[in-house]
Amino acid sequence: MSLSPAGPAIETLGLHKRYGQVQALHGIDLSVRRGEMFALLGPNGAGKTTLFSILSTLLKPSAGTAQVLGFDVVRQRAEIRQRMGIVFQEPALEQKLSVRDNLRLMGLFYGLSFRAARERSEILLDKLGLKDVAKRETQKLSGGQKRRLELGRSMVAQPEILFLDEATLGLDVDARRNFWAEVRDFVHAGGTVFMTTHYMEEAEVADRIALIDGGQIIALDTPKQLQSLVGGGVILLATEDDVRAAAWLREQGYTPEASERGLLLVNNDPATVLPALLGAMPVKTLRAEVHEPSLEDVFLKLTGRGLDTRFGQPPQDLHGDPQ
Amino acid sequence: MKGMLAVIVLDLKRLWADRIRLISSLIQPLLYLFVLGSGLGASSVLGGRGYLHYIFPGVIGLSLLFSSVFAAMLIVFDRQIGFLKAVLVAPVSRTAIAFGKVLSGALQASIPALILLLLMPVLGLHISLLRLLALLGTMALAAITFSALGVATAARFRSTIVFPIISNAVLLPMFFLSGALFPLANAPHWLRLLAHLDPVAYAVDLMRGAMLGKTFFPPLLSLAVLVGFIIVLTWLATRVFASGEDT
Repeated sequence: MSLSPAGPAIETLGLHKRYGQVQALHGIDLSVRRGEMFALLGPNGAGKTTLFSILSTLLKPSAGTAQVLGFDVVRQRAEIRQRMGIVFQEPALEQKLSVRDNLRLMGLFYGLSFRAARERSEILLDKLGLKDVAKRETQKLSGGQKRRLELGRSMVAQPEILFLDEATLGLDVDARRNFWAEVRDFVHAGGTVFMTTHYMEEAEVADRIALIDGGQIIALDTPKQLQSLVGGGVILLATEDDVRAAAWLREQGYTPEASERGLLLVNNDPATVLPALLGAMPVKTLRAEVHEPSLEDVFLKLTGRGLDTRFGQPPQDLHGDPQ
Repeated sequence: MKGMLAVIVLDLKRLWADRIRLISSLIQPLLYLFVLGSGLGASSVLGGRGYLHYIFPGVIGLSLLFSSVFAAMLIVFDRQIGFLKAVLVAPVSRTAIAFGKVLSGALQASIPALILLLLMPVLGLHISLLRLLALLGTMALAAITFSALGVATAARFRSTIVFPIISNAVLLPMFFLSGALFPLANAPHWLRLLAHLDPVAYAVDLMRGAMLGKTFFPPLLSLAVLVGFIIVLTWLATRVFASGEDT
């Protein structure tokens, strides 16, 4: 396999995607550096899976251009596929085959000889700590082991770039930690990672994060720089009547956001504002906290909405087979 | 070529891992052969031989038809569980995937059919080596035709519930119209007319010709029809795979 051309790992210009009447992406301009761990964060229906699918050659854009490792995602799909690994949100393993066979067979699909596929799968089994379960049927693995095997499958052809779509969804903390340790090893070895995630703490380990909403990138920076957009901090108020408290806060010119724990207020000077609020609130306050801004708060400040799934459902049936 | 080989190796490994599928695929042909064959055979003689001997090529055809189409059902299943995506994003051409699927389906279907062939001495069916080789050749052609039919159809389906219903609704009439269980020469005109449109009829007729030396259709016509079906159906399957989701 020849080396990919120099330049950014990913570059898009005016990328649009339309599904019938639904405009999923509105002119995305994006550049991801080589060796970077890049996260795409946004609520369901924001367009992140569509963007992910276009970049990983699964979908064609309606307009605009996108290059991955210097290759066009429409005209040079084979070149990109030869150099990329992908972990889907849903399992993409043959459950009745052994762990070892899953890796070996995927090696054949990536053009390795039987011998090379066998050797590569042994290296990956060792590296991913799956040697002991190599003969086990895949369906008998734990969730964490399956995800590690998915990662192994994606790395079988020694890719230059990894695409991870909500790759650790449903995993416990330990399994997630192990998974990301492997991904970090890949990045340290010079690989590029482009991922989508719902987990704030996972996005925060990325070198840069793009926040996407309504098919547009609304912010793109390092986690620290994004958090500094909020300034000040975030006030959490739990009251006896959050609905009434929220109405009163709006009257005072604030934009409270309901969360599971109470009302969230992004403010530049929470230390000054909080005592005054507590004194004037028309309902009893049960708990009040001030915390450092999170990416959720950044999103809240930029859009007036939270990042969680209450705000939208993914478009149905938009992602069938790869093209 | 490597991609096609990868598809075939994958599917054969899966068949080996799921041997119960292989065993269960023998049940239906054995029922036809021993229950129907023995039951009707007790009161009828066709083509100068026992009915059981007469329907043997038809039962081989039945086995090849159902096994190859059900092997193709794996495509629908893989699509539903997401495994197909992993295959389709690999750097393998869609043509190689379609060809690989057709050939692997034919290979998978050939295994139970070959097991049935082993019953020939038990049934008192003895044929020359030349006839056996001809039979194996026609079986291969039939298996590829039926597999191409299965792949071309399965590539369009997304539901593992709907596909078997539809395929059964099509396969059974194809089988019954093929003359697998009765001689087409004595069948009513309308049935013979329909049999001319049925690839299973040509395949069974060729196999019967190879075994018993008597055909309803001219053998060259049957060969041409089956090759034609293979070309058209494989082309259709390739088109579906190549079109991807952006259609």
